[in-house]
Amino acid sequence: MALLLLLLRPILILSLFHFAPIFHSEAALGSVAEEDFSEELLLRPLPDRKVLAHFHFQSRAPHTNSNGRHHHLFPKAISQLVQKFHVKEMELSFTQGRWNYDQWGGFDPLSSSNAKPPGVELWAVFDVPHKQVDDSWKNLTHALSGLFCASINFLESSTAYSAPEWGYRPDSGSLSGLHLTSSEFESEGVGSGIVLEQTLTVVVQPSSQRTVRIYSHETKLQPSWSLTSIFGRKVSGRCVLAKSSIVYLQLDSSLVAELDSLQKENNISSTDKYVSEDFSSNACFEVSVKPDRVLKELKGFEKKNPSVLYEFSIDKYNESGPFDLGLTWTVPVAWSCQKAPLHVSRFLMGSGNERGAIAISLRSTELTNKLLHTDSNEGRCKLEVKVFQVVPWYIKVYFHTLQVFVNEQPQAVSDVVEKMLVSPSVDKVSPGVLEMVLKFPCGMKSAAITLDFDKGFLHIDEYPPDANQGFDIPSAIISFPNFRTSMQFLKDDSSDKSSILSKFEENSAVLAYTEVLLVPLTTPDFSMPYNVITITCTVCALYFGSLLNVLRRRVGEEERLENKEKEPGWLRKLYAKLTGRPLEPVESTSTSSSLSSSKLKFIILVAGIAVFWQVYYG
Amino acid sequence: MLVKMCNLFNAAVVVAAFLLMGPITFGKCVAFGSPSSSSETTMHTNNWAVLVCTSRFWFNYRHMANTLSLYRTVKRLGIPDERIILMLADDMACNARNKYPAQVFNNENHRLNLYGDNVEVDYRGYEVTVENFLRVLTGRHETAVPRSKRLLSDEGSHILLYMTGHGGDEFLKFQDSEELQSHDLADAVKQMKEKHRFKELLIMVDTCQAATLFSQLQSPGVLAIGSSMKGENSYSHHLDSDVGVSVVDRFTFYTLAFFERLNMYDNASLSSLFNSYHPSLLMSTAYYRTDLYQRHLEEVPVTNFFGSVMETIHTDSAYKALSRKSFSRAEIKTSFDKTVNGDERRILADSDGQDLLSDLKKEDQQGAFKHLWKTFNDEVGKIEDVDSFVQYGLLVMLPLLLLPTWLSW
Repeated sequence: MALLLLLLRPILILSLFHFAPIFHSEAALGSVAEEDFSEELLLRPLPDRKVLAHFHFQSRAPHTNSNGRHHHLFPKAISQLVQKFHVKEMELSFTQGRWNYDQWGGFDPLSSSNAKPPGVELWAVFDVPHKQVDDSWKNLTHALSGLFCASINFLESSTAYSAPEWGYRPDSGSLSGLHLTSSEFESEGVGSGIVLEQTLTVVVQPSSQRTVRIYSHETKLQPSWSLTSIFGRKVSGRCVLAKSSIVYLQLDSSLVAELDSLQKENNISSTDKYVSEDFSSNACFEVSVKPDRVLKELKGFEKKNPSVLYEFSIDKYNESGPFDLGLTWTVPVAWSCQKAPLHVSRFLMGSGNERGAIAISLRSTELTNKLLHTDSNEGRCKLEVKVFQVVPWYIKVYFHTLQVFVNEQPQAVSDVVEKMLVSPSVDKVSPGVLEMVLKFPCGMKSAAITLDFDKGFLHIDEYPPDANQGFDIPSAIISFPNFRTSMQFLKDDSSDKSSILSKFEENSAVLAYTEVLLVPLTTPDFSMPYNVITITCTVCALYFGSLLNVLRRRVGEEERLENKEKEPGWLRKLYAKLTGRPLEPVESTSTSSSLSSSKLKFIILVAGIAVFWQVYYG
Repeated sequence: MLVKMCNLFNAAVVVAAFLLMGPITFGKCVAFGSPSSSSETTMHTNNWAVLVCTSRFWFNYRHMANTLSLYRTVKRLGIPDERIILMLADDMACNARNKYPAQVFNNENHRLNLYGDNVEVDYRGYEVTVENFLRVLTGRHETAVPRSKRLLSDEGSHILLYMTGHGGDEFLKFQDSEELQSHDLADAVKQMKEKHRFKELLIMVDTCQAATLFSQLQSPGVLAIGSSMKGENSYSHHLDSDVGVSVVDRFTFYTLAFFERLNMYDNASLSSLFNSYHPSLLMSTAYYRTDLYQRHLEEVPVTNFFGSVMETIHTDSAYKALSRKSFSRAEIKTSFDKTVNGDERRILADSDGQDLLSDLKKEDQQGAFKHLWKTFNDEVGKIEDVDSFVQYGLLVMLPLLLLPTWLSW
C-alpha cells in the first residue's frame, strides 16, 4: 500500500469520547469525590521514520448535588449536551489523512480505537425511547456542529447514518452491542457522572536533526528527534489543573525483539537491558532524559516479546529546567509493527456512469500465518471477520449479487457467510446497511467480497456544488472478534492507574477501517434548467403572440386600410376636390408651396413681359 | 431704506428656501415616520457582523482571504466571536493545494496568518447556500439549529453584512450553483426591519457590479457600499506567486488598509472610510447608497459597524433597576475626525442634499424656521471660495436693486 501522506504534513486524528461511567470499566468512580483532569502523552517511534504522538486528556465529573450544574474543571458545554440529549455514550472523531495499517500497526489498542476514517465519524448511544432516537440524533448533530464549528449537521442527512444491529465494537463491560434503545439502563445513565476523553493522535515526520555521523548505510538510520524538534517547544512543568502529567515513550514489541537480536549479535547478553534501570548503557539508542519508571508488558497470549514503556513524570520539571525528551539512534534498526490479522482494502470495479461494483479484499499477513499455523492442526480453525458497511441510497447495491472469493476461487456464499443482515436503502430516506459475519478457513491466503451496484440519479437540487468531484462512500468497518488488543503493563501500585494504560487494558476487538471510495455519478448539465426555461419561454411567447395576433386582427379593417394606402396621390386630390373636403396638412402645404411658386413664376413672367414690352415697344 | 430692503431680501430667500425644502422634508418625514421614530427611541445595544464568502474552489482563495481579513478586523475592533456569523464556502487552509497548510494569507509578504487563532466558522462548505443565508438574516431557523449559528440581534443592533464572491447585474453567485438576487436581499432586509432585528445595517459587497445588488433596498437605516458600479468589474489586488493565486481583492485590500491604521478607540468617520476609496486604485468606482440612512456620515464613527463601542451609562449604585427608556440619552461626546483626506470627493451628486435632509429630520422638534436658517448657513459654510460667492451675490442683487427703483419710478 502506497504511503498516503505527504511527508511534512502530519496526519491528525482527534477523537472525543464521552462515557457514562457505568459502562466504563472503572466502576470505582463513585468514590471519586471531585472532578479531576489528567494529561498524558505517548510517543512511539514508527518503522517508516516517523513518530507517533498520542495526547490523552481525561476529565471526570462525578455526579454530585453539591455544585448544582456547575463544574470546576469539566467543560460545561459537554455536560449540558449529555444531559439535554440523554447521551449515554458518544464518540466523535475528526481525521485528516489515513492511518497506515501496514506501517504503523494494526494490532495495538491505539490503531483499533484511535485510527479513524478520514473526515468526521460520530457514534452515539442514547438513553431515550426508541421513537425519539432519530430526533435526538438530529438535535445532537446540530448541537455538535455549533460546538465544534463543523458541518456535523450533515450527518442527519439520509445518506449518512445508520444503527448497527450487532455492534461493530464488542466492547468491554456490560455493553454487548451498540443498541440505540436501552431501556434497561434508563435512570442511572444521566444521573451518574461523566468521563470525557479527548485524544489527539498525530503522526509526524521528524526532520532529521543530525546526519553528520557517517554510516555506510546511513539512510537506514532512524531519524533522531526530540520534543523541541517535533513540536517546537519544551514542556515547562506540569499543568496546574491536572492531577497528573505523564509522558510515555513506547517501544513496540517487535522493535524490542529487533533490539534484542541486535544485542545478541553484539554479544551483549542481557535481554533485560531496556527494562533495567541502568539505562545509559543501551547500545542502540539514547534517551536524553532518564525515565522515572520502566514498564514492561505482561506477556499476551501470542506475544513473544513484551512492549516496553518508559514513563516520565513531569512533576519535577519547571520553567528553569524544562522537560525535553529526545531519542537519538546510534545503530540503524529496521522493524515492522504488528499488523492486523488480515490486510483490508476496498476498491471500486467497473467503469462508466451506469453501474459498478464494490470489492473488499482481505489478504493474510505474516501474523495470520504465524498465529493460525499453530492452531491449524486442529483442522476446525476458523477466522472470523465482521464487516459493517453503510452505502448511501444513490448507490443502489444489489445485495443478491454478493460474491465471495477465497484464494481467488469463487465460493458458495453460505460456506463463508455465517450471518448477514441487510437493510436495503430507501430512496431519500435511509441508506443501505450491510452487516456480515464471515468465517474463513485459517490457511487462507486472500479473500474478496464483491457487490454490484447501479448508480442512481439525484434530483437537481440534491447535487452538491462540486458534484463533478464525485460522491463518497463511507469506510467499511472490519473487525476481528477473535483477536483482542489488550495490553497489560506491570504496575506496582494500581491505585493511580494512568488513563492511557487503563485504556490499553481494555479488551476490545481488533478493528480496521477501509478506504473511503469516491464514486463519480452522472451529473447533469447544471445550466440545463436555464436552457429549459429559456426555450419554454420562447415557445410560450411565440405561441401566445401569434394567438393574440390572430384573435385581435380585424381582416376587413386592414383590407380597407390597405386599399386606402393603395390610392395614388392625384386620385385622392381629385377625390378631395370633388367632395370639397380639405386635403391632409402635409399635402396642403406642399400644394400651397407649389401654388406660391407658380404665383411667383407668374409674377416673374408678367414682370418679364412688361420689361420686354417696355424695351421693344416703349 | 437700504437696510430695510436687505431684511426683506433675507426674509424672501428664507421663505423661498422653506417653500422649496418644506414639501421634501415633510414628505420624507411622513415616509419614514413610524420606523424611524421607533428606531430613534431605541438605544444602540450591540453589534453583529455577518461575513459571507460565497465562492468555492481553490482559485477563489482571495474571497476566503477577504472574508477572513474582515473577520479579523471586526474581532480586533471589538465584536466578540459569538456575535459574528462567518460563512465560508470552502476550506482554503486545509486545501490540498495550499502550500502553507492551516494558514491563509491576504498579502504576499505573509506577515499575517488569517487562520492563526480561533477562527470560528459558523457555516462552512455546503452549508453556505442562499437558503441558509436568508435564514440567518431573517432568523427563521429550524429549532435544532444552535445559538452560535443564529443572528440573535435586536432592534438596537448595528449589523455589518459583508459579502464577497462573484456577482453580476443584480445577483450574487453562491458556490456556482445558485444566485442571490437583489430582490431577495431587499426582501430579507425588509423582513429584518419588520421584525426589529436591526437598528442600522451596513451592507458591504465586494463583487463585480456590486452596486446593482442594492437597487431594490427600501428599508430605512440601511447603508450600502459596493465595490463597483453597474458594468464594472472588481479586480483582485495582487497575485502571490508562492500560493499561486490572487490573495486579496482591491476593494477589500483598501478597506483593510484603512482599518489597519485604526484601533477600537479611534473615531474615524464612515465618510472618511468612503473617501479613502480611490477609483484609480480600485480600478472600479465604489458606490455608496446613503439615501436610506438618516445620520450624517461624518458623525458616524466606523466602529459603529466594524467595532463594538457601547454607550456606557454611569449609575450611582450598582444594579439599580433602570428601565431602558427612562434615562436620558447619554451621548458620548466624540470629536469626529472630519479632516481625513482633504478632498471632499462625492460620487453621489445629491448626497449633500441627502445629508441635509437627514440633518433636518434629526432635529425636527426644534423650530423649523431656525432650523432652516441653520441649514442655510451650513450650506453657505460649505461653499469653498467665499470671494466669488460674494461677487456673484452682489451681481444677483443688482437686478433686484434695479427692480424697486424701476417700480418706484
